[in-house]
Amino acid sequence: MINQIKQIIENLNGYGFSVLVLVLGVLEFSFGLYKKRWNKNEKWVDIACFTIPKLVVKPLVAYYGLKVLPAILPGLKNTFDWVPFFWGFIIIAVADDLTQYWYHRLHHQVPWLWRFHRTHHSASYMGMAMASRQNIIYTIFFSQTYLTTALVYLGLGIPAVVVKGIKGTITTLAHSSIPWDKPFYQYKILHPLAWVLERTISTPATHHAHHAATTDDGVGYYKGNFGNMFFWWDVIFGTAHISRQYPKAYGISHYEGDQWYAQLAWPIFKSKVPGSELAADGPMIKDDVPLQPHQLYRPDKVEEPVVEQVDAVFQLQPVKA
Amino acid sequence: MKLEQATKVQIAKNALLSLLLYILPIVLMFGTFAITGQRPWEKKQQHKQQISSKSKSVNPQSQDND
Repeated sequence: MINQIKQIIENLNGYGFSVLVLVLGVLEFSFGLYKKRWNKNEKWVDIACFTIPKLVVKPLVAYYGLKVLPAILPGLKNTFDWVPFFWGFIIIAVADDLTQYWYHRLHHQVPWLWRFHRTHHSASYMGMAMASRQNIIYTIFFSQTYLTTALVYLGLGIPAVVVKGIKGTITTLAHSSIPWDKPFYQYKILHPLAWVLERTISTPATHHAHHAATTDDGVGYYKGNFGNMFFWWDVIFGTAHISRQYPKAYGISHYEGDQWYAQLAWPIFKSKVPGSELAADGPMIKDDVPLQPHQLYRPDKVEEPVVEQVDAVFQLQPVKA
Repeated sequence: MKLEQATKVQIAKNALLSLLLYILPIVLMFGTFAITGQRPWEKKQQHKQQISSKSKSVNPQSQDND
């Protein structure tokens, strides 16, 4: 039974994950969830940030796993392959996701690190198009990749594959513009399940709040909700914000479309947008600016004034003093 | 722009707590082994010994080929 599950998840990692991303992407576009925000510049950023880092990172991780680890940990290959699958799964899940939580959190809280992560937040939409949108330096130093590769070298390969499959699915669904978690908040009977779900894993509501263009407004909260697979890290460390709502606007309030190459490879390439955080003379962190109506992904519904129906026609006479 | 002192303190406290969280699954695993009496690493040792003794009996002169 366990072997069958492992095989299914191995297949999921092979082609299943790509199929999931493709299906979600097609659905998002079919439902018009990008709302014409995926313009030429954003397309270039998303496609370049999805493809180019892979060409660098994959050989780098392979070199680290095949050459560096045997050199620094000689004779330790598969030393811990006796660890039962269940415990291997728990160890890898905690090690990988907690490390990613810290890597992510530090890029938000340590000012000089922010610009390496800014690309992931500059999109004014959510969805498959932007889920892999990262600066190449951020991707290369993705610390949990190296930790997990080391654990695979030590013998936890199969649990690592299973964790990768589950984590990929959760983080992909959390970035999706399809609010699949909405029914959990709408139907009272599902509220207990929603309570557990939103504290355990990243959901669209909590992760979209992290990608909001505003913070501390009751819904948007880019100062927290750093969890990727598990949300309980945010709960434990006090960085969680749960509102069961979706933000009015995504991205960065002062974003003006930095060039794809600057977003891909800052600080090697700089933005030509004057005053941008990625420009040569730009500030490390720029303060938020008030949102303009065109930036709103979910504009406030303008309510039509109610016209009262009058049954009788009154003959009004001026009042005599 | 510098890191705020309050943030620094929070990061340090949370980092300490994280160390415990990293170790927790390993502690729980060995705790379970202690309670149930399981010793999976011994199985691996036995398996290795069985393989080496089998290979010796099949090819007793294999060590002379060095």
